[in-house]
Formats: sequence, C-alpha cells, structure tokens
Amino acid sequence: MKWTLLVIVAVLALAASVVLGPAAVPLNELLRSDIVWNLRAPRALLAFLVGGSLGVAGASLQALVRNPLADPFLLGLSGGAGLGAVIAIALHLSGPWALPIAAFVGALAALGLVYRLGLIGGAALDPRILLLGGVAIGAFAAAITTAIVSLADASELRNAFLWLWGGLSGASWDAVLLVALYAPLPLAVLLAASRPLDLLALGEEPARYLGADVEAVKRRVYLAASLLTAAAVAVSGVIGFVGLVVPHLARLTWGHRHRALLPAAFIGGGALLAIADTLARTVVAPRELPVGVVTALIGVPVFALLLRRWTIA
Amino acid sequence: MRRFLLSVLIVAGCHSTARQPDGPSARRIVSLLPSFTEILFAIGAGDRIVGRTTWCDYPPAALAIPSVGDGMPPNIEAVAARKPDLVVLYNSGPNVTAAKQLERIGIHTVLLDLNRLEDLGPAARTLGRLTGLEERAESLATAMDAFTSTNLHPPSPTSTIAFVVWDNPPIIIGTGSYLHQLAALAGARNVFGDVAAPSAQVSLETIAARDPQWIAVLSDSAVTPGFAKRQEWRAVRAVRQGHFLLLKGSLFGRPGPRSGEAVKELKALLAR
Repeated sequence: MKWTLLVIVAVLALAASVVLGPAAVPLNELLRSDIVWNLRAPRALLAFLVGGSLGVAGASLQALVRNPLADPFLLGLSGGAGLGAVIAIALHLSGPWALPIAAFVGALAALGLVYRLGLIGGAALDPRILLLGGVAIGAFAAAITTAIVSLADASELRNAFLWLWGGLSGASWDAVLLVALYAPLPLAVLLAASRPLDLLALGEEPARYLGADVEAVKRRVYLAASLLTAAAVAVSGVIGFVGLVVPHLARLTWGHRHRALLPAAFIGGGALLAIADTLARTVVAPRELPVGVVTALIGVPVFALLLRRWTIA
Repeated sequence: MRRFLLSVLIVAGCHSTARQPDGPSARRIVSLLPSFTEILFAIGAGDRIVGRTTWCDYPPAALAIPSVGDGMPPNIEAVAARKPDLVVLYNSGPNVTAAKQLERIGIHTVLLDLNRLEDLGPAARTLGRLTGLEERAESLATAMDAFTSTNLHPPSPTSTIAFVVWDNPPIIIGTGSYLHQLAALAGARNVFGDVAAPSAQVSLETIAARDPQWIAVLSDSAVTPGFAKRQEWRAVRAVRQGHFLLLKGSLFGRPGPRSGEAVKELKALLAR
C-alpha cells in the first residue's frame, strides 16, 4: 500500500514537472513541443535521478556515521566541488563540460583527502574522524575558493557561487544519460550493503559479532555514497536538505531496514526534488528560484514537525 | 519623468557627504568606478585623478594613473595612500561603509548612484560642482539628459533581444538595468521587459519560449560564448542560429559618457 502510494506520488511529480512550466505549452502539443522534449523532460528526469541519489547517499551516510544529522555534503564534497568549479572558471577552461568535470574532480579530491584522514589511527574508518575530517577539508576548500574569488580578476567568478548553490538549469539528455549510466553501480553497492548497514546501526562491535566485515562495509559504503554525491554535485551543484530530510521521512514509514529504506529514499528523494524544481520554475515565473531554496522551504518545516514527533514520543 | 529625474537629483545630492560646496575644488581625486573615471575625464578633470580601479580602462590616459585595486570593496589604505582630497564611490552597501571609514580619517567622499542612464546627468553635475568645472559638467549633463530623454519616445522596436549575463543558472537583464534602456534606444525590444529587477534568474524554457532574435552577451572576446555549444541551450532558436551579439564589456558594461556610442554600435550590430 505505502509502496503504491509512493510510486503514484513519484509518477505524479514527474508528470507535473513535464506538464507545468513557465512557458505555456498546450496539452495537445505536449508531445511535439521542443521545449518539453529538450528542456522539461530531461530536467524532470535529472531532478528525479539526482534527488534519488542524494536520498540514498544521505540514508547510507547517516547509517555509516551513526549520526542523524549526516547529509551527503557533510563530508567535504561540496567544498571540493566548489573549489574545482571556481578553478575551472578562473583558468578560463572552456568547453561545455568543463565546469561539471572540474567540480567532479574537486569532489573526488576532497573525498580522497577525507578518506585518507579517516584511515588515521589504523585501517578503521572512525565515524568521528570522518565527520571532523569532512568538516575540516570542506572548510579548507571553501577558504581557498573564497581566496581565489576575491583575488582573481575574472568577474564571472562571482557567478560560480550561483552555479554551486544548486540548480538543474544545466539539464540535458547528455546529462541524464551520464547519470543514468553512472549511478546504478554505486546504488547497487549501497543496496547490497543493506544487511550489514542494519547491523552497523547496532554499533561496530555487535555488528562484528553478528558476522559483518565492518571495515570493508564502511569503506564500500563511504566510497559509494560519496561517488554518488560527487556525480550529483557535478550535474546540479549543491542541493541541500533532500539528502538530510528524505532518509528521515522514509525511516518513519519504512523503518530502519535498509533493504526497504534505501529504495524508498530513492523514490522519495526523486519525487521531492522533481516537485521542488517544478515549484522553483513556476511560482515566480518568468523568474526562477534556486531549487535549493525550495527544498529548504519544504524540507525544514517537515523536519521541524518530525523533531516534534520524536521529542514527544 | 521630470519628477523622476528631479528625485534622482535630490537623491544623488543627499548622498554627497562632501560638506564644503563652496570650499576649494578637489585637486586629488580617487575614482572607484570606471564610469566616474570616464565622466571626470569628459569634464576635464582627468589630470586630477590620482587613483583608479583596475577596471578603469577608458580613456587610454586613465591607464597611466596608479590603480588602487578592484574597488570591490575598496582597499581603504591603498586609497588613503594616494592622499586624495575627494574619493568618488558608487552608492552601494560596502561602499557606504568604506566612505565612512575614509571620512573618519578626514578624506572627503561622495557616493553617487549610477544604475540607469538618467543617473548620468546628475552624476556629472555633482562631479562638476566638486571639481569647480561646472560649465563643462553642465554641457555634458545636458547632452546626457537629452540622450536619455529619447527614452520617453524610443524608436519602435524592429528586433527582439535577450541579454544573457550568465548561463548556468541563466541570468538575464530586466528593465531595471541601463542595458534594457540601451536596447530600447537601439530599436530592440528586451523580451524580459516584464522583469522589473536589473537582472534575474530565469528558466531556460522561458528564454526558448520568448524566442528572442538575438542573444546579447557582454564579452571581451570575439568568440561565441561557451554555452552556445551546450545541448540544452540548443532549444533556444537564436542560439541554434548563432545569433549572438558580442558586446564589448568596456563599452557596454557601464553607463557613461560613451553610452550614446554604445547605442550606435548596438544599432549597427542589429542591422547586420
């Protein structure tokens, strides 16, 4: 029942984001419209894939670091991606994919550094060190980014922040294809780790007694979730709250078993971002809101309600 | 319109913090906006400028003046080191703070609005008063006012245009910007005439649906912008057809004494 409902919501969200938009396209011309085919449809699908990926990455990382506040960008990836993008603009790298590739490389560099920090003190990825390392590397990257922006001459650098703070304006069939080919691997790795993630929630020692290869699971989950997030940030910038709120919402309905939680977070995250992007495009048309503003405006009240329920219960 | 002009004048006057209208004229001026540098040269005060921003590249003689940085925000010590008796700043938040700091160390400052073409006349008059070059300033201001007042009866548009300031997310120019005015004067209708702000983020599909004949970008190079090659931008007809207007930033990037020249050049580009 709840699955049916979730799928219906997702389908409606996708349909709405194809039908609704600032440009008036009559319903009977929907299938023939260039705007619908080349702009709305890829944008709706990209929103869904990115939202879903962020939902799954968030749910996995929350389990990995056993911290309900974890979100996909907590571990320094947004800082790294931003630095990559700003360097690309400062160096005048041109080409249609220069910015996404630079952001992806930046995110991977941050990922590598945080991972390396996480290995300090033995082979165990200590969640506390991961969190601290993520915050530290993120802050360091942000500092270098700000230094470049304030020192470099390129006036367009100021706009790099606009790009970084999220949006699906760059959606194209190429981008959809890229994410659709890339995301399944890390998603499958995370889904395959469902059972050990359930065990990990009990704590590392109990998980080990119950037969989980804790170190290997942590490494796999961390890398898969981060690679998923790096791809999301490359195609759409840093879109907040989806990866934080959706896992909690899914957990309320589907419980803590990751085999159900992760797919629910994927579909829920996809639906939320598709809805948020449709609102971003339409409510103030012809202008457009940054989609991160909409996800926060929806996400934070929902989150506040949730916190209330938890503290009362 | 006249009331608007008047109110701009009053506003511009109010921002003037140089408290000695009858005192000695400024001899050592630091100009912190390329437009002010151009106006000062145009009224014959160019040889009194002792500091400029890195962006002040016109007239060529301006390049010989020492730069005090990019001016965003102004480096107070670099400005003070030029020992100016007047610092001219664009009226914006960070500059108001900077002006207060400069006043505190005894340097006179003036904050001027310069967002629209109507602001040019009042700015020229204020600078004329502060430099004691009222006559030449008045003739420049009169010319600028006359030029702007054609705004009231712009030629009926023969083509449509969209100014794209940034591509991801797409940011366009609305009626609040002088670029909208330049387009109108050159006989082009800005397809985002319903956006009141100087600039705004819009959806790509809005640009595609409004289907401008020309996409104008401020650019110092002669090559089409990178986004022209991006798949999603191909949904815009002007992009597919390569109908780009590459507008030189040093001419089009600022309202100033050469805005008339900018209009002429835009007209010529549109007539190609």
